Amino acid sequence: MDLSLLTIEIATVLLAIGVLVIGLLIPREQRFGLGYLVTIGLAIILFVSFGYYGINATAFEGMYYVDDFSIFFKQLILVAAVLVTLAATLYVKKMGTNYGEFFVMTVFAALGMMVLSSAGEFITLYLGLETMTISFYILTGFKKNDSKSAEAGIKYLILGAMSSGILLYGLSLVYGMTGTTVISEVAVKLAEMGSLSPAMVVGMVFLVAGFGFKISAVPFQMWSPDVYEGAPTPVTAFLAVGSKAAAFAALIRVFMIAFPDYSLQWKMLFAALAALTIIIGNLVAIPQTNIKRMLAYSSIAQAGYIMTGVIAANAAGVRGVAFYGMLYVFATIGAFTVVMNFSANTGSDEIRDYAGLARRSPLLAAVLTVCLLSMAGIPPLAGFAGKFYLFSSIVDQGYLWLVIIGLLMSMASVYYYLSVAKVMYMADPVDDSPIVVPAGAKAVLLITMIVTVFLGVYPQPLSVLANLAANSLFF
Amino acid sequence: MIDFALHNAWLIPLLPAIAFLLIFLVFRPLPKVSAFIGITAIFLSFVLAVHVGIGVIQAGDQFVEHPLKQVVTWFEMSGLKIEMGVQIDPTSAMMLFMVSLVALMVNIYSLGYMHGDQAFSRFYAFLALFAMSMLGLVIAPNLLQMFVFWELVGLCSYLLIGFWWHKYSAREAAKKAFITTRTGDFGLLLGILLLQINFGTLDLMTLGEMIPNFQEYTNLSVGGLTAIAAILFLGPIGKSGQFPLHVWLPDAMEGPTPVSALIHAATMVVAGVYLVGRSLILFQTVPGAMAFVAFMGGFTALFAATIAITQTEMKKILAYSTVSQLGYMMLALGAGSLTGGMFHLFTHAFFKSLMFLGAGSVLHAMNNDADIWKYGGLKKKMPITYWTFLIGCLAIAGIFPFAGFFSKDEILLVVKEASHGAQFAGLYTLLFWMATITAALTAFYMFRMFFICFHGEPRDKSFHPHEAPFSMAFPLVVLSIFSIFGGFIGAPWVEHGFGYYVRLGEYHHPSVDWAIIIVSTILALGSIFLAYWIYGKKAVSHEALAQKFAPLYKISFNKYYIDEIYLWLIHNVLDGLGRALWWFDITVVDGIINGIGNAAKILGSILRRVQTGKLQHYALVLFAGVVILVLIMSFADTSSASLSLLGGVR
Amino acid sequence: MLTEYSGIPIIIVWAIVFPALILGASKLFHPKNPTPVKLQTYECGLETQGDTWVQFKISYFMYALVFVAFDVETVFLYPWAIKFQSLGLFAIVEMFVFIAILLVGFWYAWKEGALEWM
Repeated sequence: MDLSLLTIEIATVLLAIGVLVIGLLIPREQRFGLGYLVTIGLAIILFVSFGYYGINATAFEGMYYVDDFSIFFKQLILVAAVLVTLAATLYVKKMGTNYGEFFVMTVFAALGMMVLSSAGEFITLYLGLETMTISFYILTGFKKNDSKSAEAGIKYLILGAMSSGILLYGLSLVYGMTGTTVISEVAVKLAEMGSLSPAMVVGMVFLVAGFGFKISAVPFQMWSPDVYEGAPTPVTAFLAVGSKAAAFAALIRVFMIAFPDYSLQWKMLFAALAALTIIIGNLVAIPQTNIKRMLAYSSIAQAGYIMTGVIAANAAGVRGVAFYGMLYVFATIGAFTVVMNFSANTGSDEIRDYAGLARRSPLLAAVLTVCLLSMAGIPPLAGFAGKFYLFSSIVDQGYLWLVIIGLLMSMASVYYYLSVAKVMYMADPVDDSPIVVPAGAKAVLLITMIVTVFLGVYPQPLSVLANLAANSLFF
Repeated sequence: MIDFALHNAWLIPLLPAIAFLLIFLVFRPLPKVSAFIGITAIFLSFVLAVHVGIGVIQAGDQFVEHPLKQVVTWFEMSGLKIEMGVQIDPTSAMMLFMVSLVALMVNIYSLGYMHGDQAFSRFYAFLALFAMSMLGLVIAPNLLQMFVFWELVGLCSYLLIGFWWHKYSAREAAKKAFITTRTGDFGLLLGILLLQINFGTLDLMTLGEMIPNFQEYTNLSVGGLTAIAAILFLGPIGKSGQFPLHVWLPDAMEGPTPVSALIHAATMVVAGVYLVGRSLILFQTVPGAMAFVAFMGGFTALFAATIAITQTEMKKILAYSTVSQLGYMMLALGAGSLTGGMFHLFTHAFFKSLMFLGAGSVLHAMNNDADIWKYGGLKKKMPITYWTFLIGCLAIAGIFPFAGFFSKDEILLVVKEASHGAQFAGLYTLLFWMATITAALTAFYMFRMFFICFHGEPRDKSFHPHEAPFSMAFPLVVLSIFSIFGGFIGAPWVEHGFGYYVRLGEYHHPSVDWAIIIVSTILALGSIFLAYWIYGKKAVSHEALAQKFAPLYKISFNKYYIDEIYLWLIHNVLDGLGRALWWFDITVVDGIINGIGNAAKILGSILRRVQTGKLQHYALVLFAGVVILVLIMSFADTSSASLSLLGGVR
Repeated sequence: MLTEYSGIPIIIVWAIVFPALILGASKLFHPKNPTPVKLQTYECGLETQGDTWVQFKISYFMYALVFVAFDVETVFLYPWAIKFQSLGLFAIVEMFVFIAILLVGFWYAWKEGALEWM
């Protein structure tokens, strides 16, 4: 048993506990600075994690993977956590209370995601999932005095508990049929059993539903607009990228390693869900007037696009998921950073209040436009390259109809993305006062914008990493 | 240092790019700092380019067959691998040297010329952006990278022509340039796509090996490849101002004069020639395409020269002269000589940018009044401009030993050789005579302008011309040195001259054809004398001449009414077509699009109702979803058609 | 292949039909003469007083939570105490790490005032 394989996770735990302890030792008002400590700590862990590429080992007798796939997703989660904690400073300060706990819970959520992306076994997977989700329950309801935040917390708690139950039920059905909880052994046992028993079908559907809740795929998406709107914006950003990416990592590992023989069945299921998710996410985003709700629906649609890579069920598809997941982190966090800084200044999340933002803060307007256009998949930006990878991975597998739906709906999405840009650039501001953006958030805005443009112009570096990740899964 | 430069040639375009970002993002409010950054960056690029050039020369002809190539994969997926990088061979090294030198000179010149302009920093930012794009184009190892930078230089050209955007004519000219060249670019892109589809690669080296044996790799016929070459050639027609897309280039003179010198004389407009040179093997494989290129070039050369004779603005004359000289280069390429085309491109860059900068100096002195008939007697007031301009005129007229003499004779020589070839001999003979006449016309119109502007008495006393400041005079002197001596590198008596490095195929030592030399020199000298006789000595009234040949004069003066024809076509044919399409668009297409849009909106608001905000409804949907999925999965027989309907089964 | 599960739908159907039958029959046959007393909430024969929405002191909740943390710790300690000799040094170190983490949590709760009775 080589504990050094778990350096990343152990370091994350130590960071969380350390921040908690330091938070106790300094006066309440000064705990605000803990955010920077967390950012730096996570950044160091992110840097260290590059050394773990190419190890491709397992720990705890196959219960825990340390392969390129999990490292890639851990880095994705760490990038998201670094950006969110860096961007959240002003917002958290305005929130008023419990700065320390906010950052500690963020780190714990990240830890849960990491475990989720590395899990090679159902119990471990569930532990990671719950660590992540429980942290998010707390973070979602963090604004205790805000009724919307409290409502979002309760909704997420109850619905999340239900989905956890469904997932757990699914896991136990699979365990019941195969007698093992280790993912790679499930495939062996299933192959011995031959035909697919009805209980396995039910188990598989429950797993789809459980993961579908986390990635907010239609029809398990109902929670996300309300929770995204109510939760503190940094939490929404982290929820939208982190929990989604980690759930995708676990989902890919479970379905591609445990059920490769029944890919025909679950591919059909995912294809139907992906089509529904893309269509409904994009259509309902159109009439939204609150930017957080609009982004929530757009993130539902994005999950639909990412699902197409799962349907491909090969290295090309997984590479597409990894690639898209990473650039989705930058685009989403960029957009939400704009939203959180805007609302920290003006107290509003309504799209019509964004009128004339280009004049009040050119940086915010530019970043939001770039990020939204990247999500829409406009060519010189990263989203285009990502969609290109995803769609091309399924087009030669007979899913042309899904690609066509995806492309049509991408076009539809340009409408609601551009209408935000139109408000920002064309309309006159009601209030001319400039918007103050603190240095940390400014850094995040610049990073997200530069990366989004850079990966669109030159996608190769990320593509190489995504390739490593995908190949380690299929060796 | 040489080794460093050879292996880090990517720095050459990168430095101006950094300068652009610095100026644009940081130093825009500080004009002096901006200029300093711009000049420093291009100077460093120039130093690197010089070292690259030395390295290439030292390597002998090693790089001719095996260029130094460094690429990074830019984008990769199944069956499609796109690279970005640097290809160093004598041709690109020559271009790097030429572009960076002219860009440096223009940057320095602009210090004086643009002094006091409100958007001084913006100007330097655009110059840096242009330098980056042009240098990136020159070193491109594949057609796609070339296309990307090709579009970028087009954008810079658009931005710089319309630099004085408050002038209506500048805005219109910028639009015209952009639209006209875009017309050609469409063909270029199509040609590039066709090459990619048929050959599976856009790499210049690989294409160079595949195309001569194209029947092995593709199922293209000779006609098919000829069509691809012709479509590809549309791009150069637009960019290099060949007939019939030349109309934008004279109008482009609305931009600041340094821009005209850099972009619309020396560098961007030769991109088309460079592209044809780079893909010459494609044209060579199909003789029909070669003849097409040669004819377009030769015709444009003569055509533009006949227009230049009657124009009354310095920059317009120079612009038509540029069009004509570009035609000359195309003609050389069309005759199968990479050496001829590139050599003329090289020398032309120096004397033409020299003359543009000289014209700028004159305009600067004459308060931007463009009419040459108001000038006169500038010789005494502006000696430096006068002498350097004379050098430029002698160079373009092809008088020994100025640079133009060598390159022009080289072209006449290769066209003559082509006329003895197996195919299209008659055409090439015709083109040879057209080129010879063009040479004579060139000498005539250049010295017509020269004598009108600089000799005689000042016609309009209200001007008080003055010599250019040092920052403007210095580039004139440097460029005139190159205009005098630049031709020697390709002179017949040099053992390993220009043609030894820049060539396609085997090296032939340039032969000397005394007949051509004597005839062309006599014609040039005769034309100069004629110009002196009419405009210098005023032995014959030019007005009387114009009266006598009124119809010809009018046609030439009005540029063969090409602009008017286009305008008429646009007004009547295109407009009518546009109206019809507009009707179709508004009623049918928009009806459908709006219908879809409205349907989507309505559907969206209906679906939105499902989102009640009530927890129990959400839970209900969640469980209902699970139940429905279980039902679907239980009853869907895996072998039935329902699965294959959704795909998944190949 | 679904025959072995056929019991489930039968039970579902019966679970719906049976209460419907019983409740329907009762509705059909019972006499209807409501009085105010009959409509009162029944609570162990006592009169109901006040609102059902009563505030509980949050400190109860805090105590319960901290208690649960230690309860769970003990649950883990028992099997460990029985087996730690055969598990070796690693298990001992691991248990101390576990306890240390819990203690940090306890310290946090204490310091934040969860154990103050206010």
